[in-house]
Amino acid sequence: MKTIPPPCPEPEAGPKYWRSMDQLADTPEFRQWLEREFPQGASELADPVTRRHFVKIMSASFLLAGVGLTGCRRPEEKILPFAKMPDNYVHGVSQFYATAMPTRNSAIPLVVQSDDGRPTKIEGNPQHPDSNGGTDQFAQASILNLYDPDRAIRFTGNGSTKRREEALDFLTSLSTQARANGGQRLAFLLERSSSPSRARLQRLVSERLPQAQWFVYEPVDFDIHRQAATAAFGKSVAPYFKLDEANVIVSLDCDFIGTEENSYINCRRFARRRNPEKSAGQPMSRLYAVEGLLTLTGANADHRLRIPSSAAQGFAARLASAILAQKGGGAELQGGVTKLSAALAGQDAWIAECAKDLLSADNAGKSLVLAGHRQPLAVHTLAYAINAALGNIGTTVVLHEVPESKEGNISQLAQALNGSQIDTLVILGGNPVYNAPADLAWAQAQAKAKSVVRLGYYEDESFPANGWHLPMAHYLESWGDARTADGTVVPVQPLIEPLFGGMTELEVLSRIGGLEKTSPYDVVRETYRGLGSDGEENWKKFLHDGFLAGSAAAPASVQLNGNACAAALNAAPAPQLPSRDRLEVVFHRSHSVDDGRFNNNGWLQETADPVTKLTWDNAILISPETARELGVGEYDEERRGNKVRKGLFKNQIVELELSGRKIRGPIWLQPGLAKDTVGLALGYGREKTGRIGRLDTGQPAGFNAYKLRASTADGFAVGGKITPTSETYQLANTQEHGSMEGRPIIREATKKQYDEHPEFAKNMDLSSPAHMAHIPKDETGNPKMIYPRPVYNGTHQWGMSIDLNACVGCTACMLACQSENNVPIVGKDQVTKGREMTWLRLDRYFAGSVDDPQVAYQPMLCQHCENAPCESVCPVNATVHDEEGLNLMVYNRCVGTRYCSNNCPYKVRRFNYFDYSRRPRNALYRDPFTARTDGEWELKRWFKQPERGSIPDDEWELLKLVRNPQVSVRMRGVMEKCTFCIQRIEEAKITQKVKAGPSGDVRVPDGTIKTACQQACPAEAIVFGDVSDPNSKVSQLKKQARDYAVLGFLDTRPRLTYLARVRNPNPAMPDAYKENPGTLDEYIKDGNTSPLESHAHGTVVGPGAGHGAQPATQHKAEKGAH
Amino acid sequence: MSDIFPKWTNQLPGKVLIGAVMVGTAVTAGLWYYFTPKYTRVGYQPVQPVSFSHSIHVEQLGLDCRYCHNAVEKSWYSNIPTASTCMNCHNQVLATDPRLALVRESAQTGKPIPWVQIHKTPDYVYFNHSVHVNRGVSCVECHGQINKMDEVYHAKPLSMAFCLDCHRNPGERLRPPDKITDLNWKWSDDPKSAAQLQKTRGEEFVRDWNVRASQNCSSCHR
Repeated sequence: MKTIPPPCPEPEAGPKYWRSMDQLADTPEFRQWLEREFPQGASELADPVTRRHFVKIMSASFLLAGVGLTGCRRPEEKILPFAKMPDNYVHGVSQFYATAMPTRNSAIPLVVQSDDGRPTKIEGNPQHPDSNGGTDQFAQASILNLYDPDRAIRFTGNGSTKRREEALDFLTSLSTQARANGGQRLAFLLERSSSPSRARLQRLVSERLPQAQWFVYEPVDFDIHRQAATAAFGKSVAPYFKLDEANVIVSLDCDFIGTEENSYINCRRFARRRNPEKSAGQPMSRLYAVEGLLTLTGANADHRLRIPSSAAQGFAARLASAILAQKGGGAELQGGVTKLSAALAGQDAWIAECAKDLLSADNAGKSLVLAGHRQPLAVHTLAYAINAALGNIGTTVVLHEVPESKEGNISQLAQALNGSQIDTLVILGGNPVYNAPADLAWAQAQAKAKSVVRLGYYEDESFPANGWHLPMAHYLESWGDARTADGTVVPVQPLIEPLFGGMTELEVLSRIGGLEKTSPYDVVRETYRGLGSDGEENWKKFLHDGFLAGSAAAPASVQLNGNACAAALNAAPAPQLPSRDRLEVVFHRSHSVDDGRFNNNGWLQETADPVTKLTWDNAILISPETARELGVGEYDEERRGNKVRKGLFKNQIVELELSGRKIRGPIWLQPGLAKDTVGLALGYGREKTGRIGRLDTGQPAGFNAYKLRASTADGFAVGGKITPTSETYQLANTQEHGSMEGRPIIREATKKQYDEHPEFAKNMDLSSPAHMAHIPKDETGNPKMIYPRPVYNGTHQWGMSIDLNACVGCTACMLACQSENNVPIVGKDQVTKGREMTWLRLDRYFAGSVDDPQVAYQPMLCQHCENAPCESVCPVNATVHDEEGLNLMVYNRCVGTRYCSNNCPYKVRRFNYFDYSRRPRNALYRDPFTARTDGEWELKRWFKQPERGSIPDDEWELLKLVRNPQVSVRMRGVMEKCTFCIQRIEEAKITQKVKAGPSGDVRVPDGTIKTACQQACPAEAIVFGDVSDPNSKVSQLKKQARDYAVLGFLDTRPRLTYLARVRNPNPAMPDAYKENPGTLDEYIKDGNTSPLESHAHGTVVGPGAGHGAQPATQHKAEKGAH
Repeated sequence: MSDIFPKWTNQLPGKVLIGAVMVGTAVTAGLWYYFTPKYTRVGYQPVQPVSFSHSIHVEQLGLDCRYCHNAVEKSWYSNIPTASTCMNCHNQVLATDPRLALVRESAQTGKPIPWVQIHKTPDYVYFNHSVHVNRGVSCVECHGQINKMDEVYHAKPLSMAFCLDCHRNPGERLRPPDKITDLNWKWSDDPKSAAQLQKTRGEEFVRDWNVRASQNCSSCHR
């Protein structure tokens, strides 16, 4: 790691300095010179000029001897080599290990980069059969959790620190005791897991402790999918959705793109079918979404029906009715269907046309109806019934067998505890005191157990005062295994020894069960043996590849059990619909902090929620319409956002009451919510969390929505009541404006319009001849450049293309960029000032009506303009252009004028207003004379350790490790921006040159370099590559008709171009925008000519604008599409 | 009224101004000239904990640079050898010599030898050894005649100007790839024909190997 150590005192045997080659060569002449006090002839220097000159030179040299050579040299640094070279290790070369991140009932296969023996960057595993190398935002950010200074680092017993040996002794004694009485009065509370090892251990331990009780609790549980499938098909099966096989998808409150499990798989499969040109012979898919909150799935839907979540069962019932009427069968379901249909009145045309689309002959067996995890069992049953009737089982939804889940739930455990039936409660992971259902009064229930043993990652709310707390190891430090959604077994391989001696779930279970093999490695190895094809070579291959080939689950052949479905529907309670006085409260999984497990993760807290764009807090979301009726909040119609006062969101605090429980929180008016619906994000408001989860003010970020959530209604509940208060709360939001105001920044059209006018995206903005006629042109027809431009004669010419059809808005790219490029977080206060540092932001715009908007997303990063406005205005030439087309940022030259950011039309340059990497966020404004660390002046402390910064020691030591050594960490006063991952580009070029050696084969093959954002994107929306190579993927994409440059009329000639969005609405649907998508409507209403009219669009400005892949200056005069 | 100030203060402001300008110019010129890496770095010869002599090991014994600095062809970082590398020979040669006590201790106990770093670029410079070593740039171009040094000293300034001197004209510094570690190697003993050969062969290398020694900021500054 490149850091400057503190100045060392001079060693006794001082460094030798020589001042001339003569001295070094130790020539006789020099000896003479040295020995004589005055050199030969010095006394004869009578000439005043020469004498003066001599004296001047000598005195300067002597001056330097005292001043320059000792004091002005850099401090002495040491190199400490190994005593014995470790195997397979070369300092400076990263190593990659395959592992997986366990996620509830599934896992994400990963390849993690390791530098100097520690993990630094997480990427997906493209070799895994069910992955393209994409990940979700949680996987990318989870590395910061490994280096979290607030994690549990000690063993405690009854609140006081114990040694590890004492803890292990306790577990042994617990095990002996338990085995003696067969596990009586012992209960285990586990998280959901797909690990075959854990399942095997559960079995083994149950055999030894037959009386022990097992319970599983996940606050956000996706197990309903398996439960519903099992009920509907009569055997223990779980669904796997193949969204890329479906022509028509109907989502019943199922946010499969955002907050459902395996969103990374869903994004990939969904995006694959969103190409308006036939992709692999398949037409573009169509998505219908029915939901109460605005989710990413709704944002990407072609048709969205905005109804409360409790009405979704009515929709499902009426849709089932329509489908079954056509397809026949399902008579036994009729009773239940009729009962549930009452939940939704009206919307006849919507449902009818949607059903017609599903029933169309083209879509036989190629449709998919999904129900979301918050919806009750009845809705899932109806979904399966519809899917079965349409012939989708086995094509778009595949069932595979899973072992039965025999554990109890937390309500049963609470009952057992309250009935004083449990002496020892073992909690492995999870945080039940924080997130258990509010009606269970879990904290008191837990205290009823005589002793609690908890394995936890933090010393948080569930820290037992009466028992033991064992620190949990992060998955990057553990041995384990898991199954991905398709059933493939993946290893969880550690990249580093547990930093703080944490234990894994497997180890604790085996110790309590008294098994001989307690080390997690042995447990996993033993499980692997049982999976067949054992052997050392196969085991190594398993670890190397990151998955077990051929272990994917085979599809089960199933038949829908009509009677079981009917029973489920009949058992469903009568639907309750919300009204103004009985609001529907929806508890949704936070896109940032999950169910609360990432509450202390700074990157995720600061990454804006893609729908609300809120950071660091949650809010009580209601629609502007409902807010008007209730008389709360203020909505700014023009800006399409909450009211802003002097650039700040000071939202009204309201009290929300549900079933006798109350919480307080700021209101946030969110367009797109259904009427009388309130959205609450889970995972905030934690009392005992670390320094991130408590804001710099010390108050918990957000409010705790779990306090309202009862076990009977954990998805949504009807009966909420809002009471306004007179207080306000400031919210940090990254996007004030929600409207493009008629500017063609995101360009979209419907499929029909695209088919007729494929080049519609190029016909927008000011690039028609009428606007450009007065500007002198060069030989390519582009406007003549004012400033001399660099010559683009590099071996490669880098460019990027982002497909707005594929981008679903999941924010995985933002977290990947933050992880790869050492981008700091700035804290809530600075975010309110607009100083968030993410190099890549996701712009979200609303169009159409305020209450029922359309949403469009666009990742915005440095466009690497060939004609960059930022480069010509830098007074110190800190931002220059590469011969390969990159806009470079030289941090050491930047003086912080900020003129470049001023001039950037895309506003993608981020300035380090403070030393975010080395100053605590609550002490940013202090100067060296007022800031104090441990009573010492900041200036004095700085003299001792200039590189150290004033962050607390524990945080500093760990945060150092998370940084990527290939990228500089920027200081205060320096501008930074997306570099197209220059470190990855240079590494690839260097590798290629090293491989070429003394030959001319220095061109990097296409696909070698993947920028961090490209690699993380599960939808493959971002493609980076060499635009001078006509066969590269990026060149092919730029040739597409949809390609356009944002703000191209400014003649910036960006190397990053976008592929316009194409929506696929059903012309027969009664929706409002079937004519034009919302943004296109606004563009035309703003006074622009519609791009769909066949007018000559004249000279189009921009490198990728239909002229092929050459950058403008190398372009030969082509006729093009004029 | 008598004068408040003595007469000589009349010229004082002018003198102060001129003096300040002169001193400022002298200081600036001095710093500009003498505080460049050519003066502050060249000649740095710190005392090392173990008096390893390159001239004995390379000139006399004929060790190749890469025997010890083995990672230089794979990594950006050219490693200092581990104590076990030294012990390959020194468990027999000079096996009990007191000068090698630290090496033996290191190999035994794992305690690293605290070598003093001589060649270092600033943190914002990302230099990569492997791409230079594999593409015809000899060690001697940047490190000088290390093979003749008893104690290593900083021979070249390694300033940005120094790097650019070569990057602007790489043909002047390239040599056949198998001669990289032969620090005494010349194109020919006759300096005139050596210069001629360097020019012609160098241009040939630049052409054949597609040498694009980038002068852009991105090649070193990330």
